[in-house]
Amino acid sequence: MIELNNITKKFTLHNQGRTNISVFKNLNLKINPGEIVALTGPSGVGKSSILKMIYGNYVFQSGEIKINNYKIDHKYPRNIIELRKNTIGYVSQFLRVIPRVPTIEIVMEPLLEINFDQKEVRERAEKILLDLNIDKNLWNLSPLTFSGGEQQRVNVARGLIRNYPCLLLDEPTASLDNVNKDIVLNLINEKKDKGSSIIGIFHDESSRKYLNAREIDITKISHAN
Amino acid sequence: MEPILSVQNLNKYYGDQVGCKNMNMKLYPGEVVGVVGESGSGKTTFINSISGNLNPDRGKILINKDNEIINFLEISESLKRLLIRTELAFVHQNPRDGLRLDVSAGGNISERLMSIGQRNYGNIRQTIFKWLDKVEIDKSRVDDFPRTFSGGMLQRLQIAKNLVTSPKIIFMDEPTGGLDVSVQAKILDLLRKLVRELHLSVVIVSHDLAVIRLLADKIIVMKNGEAVESGLCDQVLDDPQHSYTQLLVSSVLQV
Repeated sequence: MIELNNITKKFTLHNQGRTNISVFKNLNLKINPGEIVALTGPSGVGKSSILKMIYGNYVFQSGEIKINNYKIDHKYPRNIIELRKNTIGYVSQFLRVIPRVPTIEIVMEPLLEINFDQKEVRERAEKILLDLNIDKNLWNLSPLTFSGGEQQRVNVARGLIRNYPCLLLDEPTASLDNVNKDIVLNLINEKKDKGSSIIGIFHDESSRKYLNAREIDITKISHAN
Repeated sequence: MEPILSVQNLNKYYGDQVGCKNMNMKLYPGEVVGVVGESGSGKTTFINSISGNLNPDRGKILINKDNEIINFLEISESLKRLLIRTELAFVHQNPRDGLRLDVSAGGNISERLMSIGQRNYGNIRQTIFKWLDKVEIDKSRVDDFPRTFSGGMLQRLQIAKNLVTSPKIIFMDEPTGGLDVSVQAKILDLLRKLVRELHLSVVIVSHDLAVIRLLADKIIVMKNGEAVESGLCDQVLDDPQHSYTQLLVSSVLQV
């Protein structure tokens, strides 16, 4: 379960005339286990910011965020690191990896944190890469030279190889063709059926409908500006 | 879980000049802490002060060794030296500072082993080969002198030399500093793997924010000898709160 209660978020740009940008005031949001919430609204309204606050990348000025009843507190970074490791999967828009590391190892990495059986982890990684239509010939290459759609699927594979209680998805299907889009959506649905609390940004309406997502228009629930 | 290394209110002065002051840090097992800041901000003074290379003027350094808390600045010189050889390791920016260039690669790796009393030639030779393999240096180079090695190989040899006695806490000062980017990637990959496999705790100094983002869990941003901001690494880089951190993050060139 993911809960945001009365969140206020602003950015203060110290080097640009101390400009204050208010993003959220009194933001409330709750995502139950086995539920998919889709954030909607025009660009710049703060959809990705919500995911980043939940993942701990962004701080917030007041209110509380609870993940499976655990409160996010930036005074204790160690606890956020543990929370991520055990509870939250995050598929970001862009793949950020060490150059020259093979795709298969990048996909194995999150699972290796909790499962030390190299062989078993490799098999799981191979399975999800096969599911996602990543050609076998690419597995031992770095994904940095891959096409946008392939990189995105590697990112999805990393985020979905485990069964996290909470999943954050930032446009996981944006640059995919229809066949691969359906594959990814089906994988997301499987995670929902396993009881994950899922929150994501999906640009096309058909994806949101396919996932049977509860749509939340941010402009209607937050009162910034 | 208890921190394996805890630094409390550490100060180091050079005469009247501040090296670093009021520094605090908690390093947990398996964690990587990155220290960033511009040249002259006190990064290297800090890492040298907490690793036994420099004597700080004030403050506490507590090391957790098998659940026994050791007050690093108050123990005897001989015990300190033993700790430095067994529990701690220091990887220099310039591998030539951390290696003996007139001793073979194998000899460099075995030095720490022999300093803690290992004498069995067969065992030592086996450990050397295991470590050459881990850092991807061909076994056939074991008897060659480091001066015949490339920069990237030297850095990997320095890492092997330091890790051979299974130290728990590793200090690294710009470990990819003088290397070209393709070699840098290889070292980063190696470091990440070693941290995970051996459950190492690492303090790494770098002015390269991209390196820190890929390696570190937590970050300390230094300016004029003090920490201006610290916390979760990607939070500090994605949503910096202090004006200096904002300046630092926004000054990085995009490729």
